[in-house]
Formats: sequence, structure tokens, C-alpha cells
Amino acid sequence: MTNTYTGGCQCGAIRFRARGTPPDSSICHCRMCQKAFGAYYAPLVSVRGMEFEWTRGQRKTFRSSNFVNRGFCGDCGTPLTYEAPDGMAVAAGAFDDPSLLPPTIQWGVEGKIAFVDHLHELPAERTEADLAAGSFLHQIVSYQHPDHDTPVWPPEDHA
Amino acid sequence: MTAKTEQSGGCQCGAVRYRANGELGYPHVCHCRMCQKAAGNYFLPLAGVMRVDFELTRGEPKWFHSSGLVRRGFCGDCGTPLFYDIPDADSINITLGSLDDPQAVKPVMQSNLDSKMVWFHALDGLPVELEPETTDREDGIAASNHQHPDHDTSQWPSGAHP
Repeated sequence: MTNTYTGGCQCGAIRFRARGTPPDSSICHCRMCQKAFGAYYAPLVSVRGMEFEWTRGQRKTFRSSNFVNRGFCGDCGTPLTYEAPDGMAVAAGAFDDPSLLPPTIQWGVEGKIAFVDHLHELPAERTEADLAAGSFLHQIVSYQHPDHDTPVWPPEDHA
Repeated sequence: MTAKTEQSGGCQCGAVRYRANGELGYPHVCHCRMCQKAAGNYFLPLAGVMRVDFELTRGEPKWFHSSGLVRRGFCGDCGTPLFYDIPDADSINITLGSLDDPQAVKPVMQSNLDSKMVWFHALDGLPVELEPETTDREDGIAASNHQHPDHDTSQWPSGAHP
């Protein structure tokens, strides 16, 4: 059976589908991936050799060096791809279910943030803690695209 | 935690640059599904700075209203996620990986665990690839890096690349 993985950007203007088995799923700690993602690392799933299709919209790209293009959604900014001469990798968090694609290796550890290995040890709070504080979460209405393909987007009932 | 009181940062291409002159409050990593998808990542590290202590020093971000109350700022030229903003609030949240010195601001909390990746705690145990896959490519990238440097610049692009 062929595995199918779908995903896209936050606003849903860009959607993609990958069929097959990803050759690898990794985390890159290099400073270029950090800054491109605004985060501590870039989690990337290689789609090399997979059947990959953009099913909605066109990504924008930024040429971050002479070898690499990085794709993103021009409407909402979600980082989407790392495109190198030997293949493309897709931002793991942009998949509809990133938990299916756990990383198995780390790259670029010369740029690793010193405290990144200890983030999971930090104290944690649940969303309800914010609710108790009487925050805006009571009224929030999400405009994020759902974590599955949709025939039409955005729905007509939100501006 | 009180972080260094002046932090600069910006997007990968350098079209948007900002400065936070006050404390970056409540640095945390948010595991909620909205932050995950907005950032294409497993979580998003954020901290808030009072609006009066915050200034854009180059360019303007683009904004996406991810809900009726929150807008997310990013660079329209290169896509870097930059801000999580509730316009009515007196502070603005900055993505901590966009800081020029992300090591300087250490998160103190994790939030919204319901959508946390179940294997998040195990990531630090992953094997590490020590050798670059292709040295030529690493060298080529280093020699043609179009990323804005991790400090303010008087002029950008510098003219060294198109």
C-alpha cells in the first residue's frame, strides 16, 4: 500500500500531496535554517523519489544561496520547502499530521542552540490555563486551513 | 527570566529588520497546531516585548490574520515567520529564531501541550550527522550565502550578490 501524506500552509493557499515513503526526516540546526524558519531548527522531510504534487496554489521562493531555494506561502508566510540540486525537502510542520514523520537524524549541529536539547524539560501549561486567566481564547475563531484537503477554500462564511 | 535588554533581529533575506529595546518577556515554546502550521515546524518559540520598546528598523512585514484576534507577521520576500500579534495588546510577540542572537533568550515554559509531537522529548537523542553530505555544496553555500548577517547593516543587499 502506498502511503499518502498531505499538507500545506497555514492559510491554505498552498496545498501539497506526497505519495510513497520519504527517504528521510531530519532536523537541521544550521543558522540559515534557523533564521529562515524563525525557530531553533528546521524540521525537513525529504520527498526525493516520492510522487509529489502541488495540489493548490504556487509557492514563492527565496534563493538563500546559489544552491538552494526556499519555498513559502506568499499569503501567510508558512515555510514550505528546502529545494537543493539533489532534491526537495518539505517543512515537517506543514504536513497535516507531522507526527507520522518523526525525524531520525540531526544536521548542522555546529549551529545548534545550546538549550535546545532541554526544551522538553521546561515546565508546561495546557491551553486551559490561559482560558482560566480570562483571555481572548474564549472568543477565538481560527482562519487556519484544516489539516486535510478541502474542495473549496476559504469557506464562504469567513471574510 | 530577564533577557538582555536590547535585541535585534529580522528575516532571512534582511528585507524586514526589527529591534526590541526592552525585556523580552515570557519566552516560551508554543506547541499549538496553529503555531506549528504557521511555522512549518514542531513548535514556535516566542517572547513578548512592549510595543513602546519595539521598532521596525527596515521594511514592513506582511500580515496574515490567523484568527479574528491574532495576526502573524512574516517577510513577504523570503517568508520568515517574525511576529505573533494581538493588535489590541500592549506587547508584540517575536519569533525567537529570528533574533540575531537566539542563544541570548532562553525559554522558560512550554505551552499548549495538546498538539505537542508525541516524540518531542526524544529529539535530543537523535543521531548526529557530523560530516556534510557534500562538502562542495557546503562550501558553495558558504560562499554565496544570501542570508542577512546576524547584525544590523547600514545598507542591504550589500551589492555582493544580485
